[in-house]
Amino acid sequence: MQISINDADVFVSTGGRVADEHAPVLLFLHGSGQTHLSWLLQARFFANRGWSVMAPDFPGHGLSGGAPLTAIETMADWCHTLIMAAGHKKVTVIGHSQGGLVAMELARRHPEYVAGIGLISLALAIPVNPQLISMAEDNEPAAFDAMVTWGHGHDGAFHDHPMPGNSHIFMGKRIMASNPEGTLAVDLKACAAYADGEQAAASITQPAMVILAGDDSMTPCKQGEALAAAIPHAELVKIEHAGHMLPIERGDDVNRALRRLFEQTGA
Amino acid sequence: MSKSFGFDTLGLHAGYTPDDRHGSRAVPIHQTTSYMFNDTEHAAALYNLEVGGHLYTRISNPTIGVLENRMAALEEGVAAVAVATGMSAVFLSILALTSQGDHIVASSQMYGGNINLLEHTMSRFGVTTSFVDPTDHDAIAAAIKPNTKMVFGEVIGNPGLDVMDVSAVAKVAHAAGVPLVIDATLNTPYLMKPLKHGANIVIHSLTKWIGGHGIAMGGVIVDGGNFDWGQNDRFPTLTQPHFAFQGVNLWEEFGPAAFAMRVRSEGMYNIGPTLSPTNAFHILQGIETLGMRMDRHMANTAELVAFLKNHDGVAWVNHPSLPDHSCHDVAMRQMPKGAGSIVTMGIKGGRMASQAFIESVELASHLANVGDARTLVIHPGSTTHSHISADAMKAAGLTDDLIRISVGLEDINDIKADFNRAIKIAQKKTSAKGS
Repeated sequence: MQISINDADVFVSTGGRVADEHAPVLLFLHGSGQTHLSWLLQARFFANRGWSVMAPDFPGHGLSGGAPLTAIETMADWCHTLIMAAGHKKVTVIGHSQGGLVAMELARRHPEYVAGIGLISLALAIPVNPQLISMAEDNEPAAFDAMVTWGHGHDGAFHDHPMPGNSHIFMGKRIMASNPEGTLAVDLKACAAYADGEQAAASITQPAMVILAGDDSMTPCKQGEALAAAIPHAELVKIEHAGHMLPIERGDDVNRALRRLFEQTGA
Repeated sequence: MSKSFGFDTLGLHAGYTPDDRHGSRAVPIHQTTSYMFNDTEHAAALYNLEVGGHLYTRISNPTIGVLENRMAALEEGVAAVAVATGMSAVFLSILALTSQGDHIVASSQMYGGNINLLEHTMSRFGVTTSFVDPTDHDAIAAAIKPNTKMVFGEVIGNPGLDVMDVSAVAKVAHAAGVPLVIDATLNTPYLMKPLKHGANIVIHSLTKWIGGHGIAMGGVIVDGGNFDWGQNDRFPTLTQPHFAFQGVNLWEEFGPAAFAMRVRSEGMYNIGPTLSPTNAFHILQGIETLGMRMDRHMANTAELVAFLKNHDGVAWVNHPSLPDHSCHDVAMRQMPKGAGSIVTMGIKGGRMASQAFIESVELASHLANVGDARTLVIHPGSTTHSHISADAMKAAGLTDDLIRISVGLEDINDIKADFNRAIKIAQKKTSAKGS
């Protein structure tokens, strides 16, 4: 569906279904340089099981217009505006990587709108190599290559995708390349600049789940475990033999875990 | 360890992870029609494109899936769908984009089967084609109409051996908002990856060099994921609600893989030209050595072309590597490792001499295929291209005396000796008849 936010057209995937207005709402937030397609294996799955799914493309990403937002805090406020524009009062928010930082910040800034929080492939902070930012600023394909190749575990790197015939690596590169020039750099700089992870994590009072990938080389498990420890009562789920792009590499396992969270949140 | 892999490594490993239960190192042949569902919810989810997995082999299969992932990896595409033959790959690609009243711009210099499909079969269902010289970019641009849904051609034309400048044609097609669909059978991804030159969809007959052993039929469609199907309302099959799957909008829900999803969700569901899992396995064995075999094909081709070029009994030789070939520069730029292992030639003495040559070879095989490990010869005018019109033959560069050679992997000295002997016999026979 299309929603206008701050005078820009925003695309929000509903997983192919328009849920009834009483259905509990799931807000899925994608990571740096990504789009709603990060949730290929979650959006349709949950939309067809009674949830109302919202998986937006952030401004300047995928099918959304506007310019990319430059700070995690701004993205969190933008999500708040989106929730209100869609007419919702409470959502369970699920964030992947950068989307996880936004989800935490949304829960800190607008806790009354958040019923629960799922954080996937995330740590308290996402430091970014300045060289990668520089390559992304110059829109060098090498930046996409680095993100995509290091973003996948063994199976993904060898193009072994759960959807028959699909390639993790080249799908990832195409998604990044389809965004306007410079989008990835804006995202990476926003991640690198965000320093409030510990405070945001500590402020979460809603049911929370942290889902980590055993072979994540971008937000290593150890750092993800520190995040889980910093969130009061967070459930930690570790999925082995997968990389940073966990939702697409291990869709079934991620969905099984998230479903448990959604049952807790009443979402 | 680096997570980026070279061509030969992907050819051996892409798309397959040995499973925990059996640890089979080679890709297993999943010779089954169907798959156990975990429960009714799992079955429903598979039927509704919500989860990955297999539900019925007409749609997908684990062994075929490895082949698809491997071809996507080698071509650098976002997704691939493998099918029973190269011709069914062409047909399903057309089916995914066109409806009654639509139009295609196609190269006039293609394999006869492709020309026949467009000219005689698709036209009966209201999809018309304008055939143009693939090297005439102005003519391609002029032929594109508002209802044109694709520009279609071969990198190396069969058997004319003209070479399409893929980057240039892609620019022409994209300027008109149309994707470029390429049949890349004769070059294989080892010699050239058309997606990197701007093409959007790549088709192969896997029966040829990719399988390489002449034992299994197959085809594949690789989606480059690099075309904006949503730029306007020209491609409703991808951007409007699907007739099934609760009206899924493939462009919105599957993004760069929308085309491949359409092929699978309509072509495989409603038509079903399914590759046999055993054939997928055989083709995978071929892919494992594709790079090495292509190097040998190219080395043998270079030596045979030089041999024929200097042979007194040969009237003419055609191969894009020859400096006097009209597409030599394009071929060398696009395919620096070699411009394929198809060579055409005529024997002095015309059609009769060429036929006599074909009947006189002993090592080379006279049959209707290309890309086999063995050297093959045929007279296309009376066989593979005999069903197309005289005008189409002319446009395809098919002369009466043309012999098509698919250079194999034998010891090159043995190929040369066989050809030398057959050329001499052909000339003797022709001169005897002529005297």
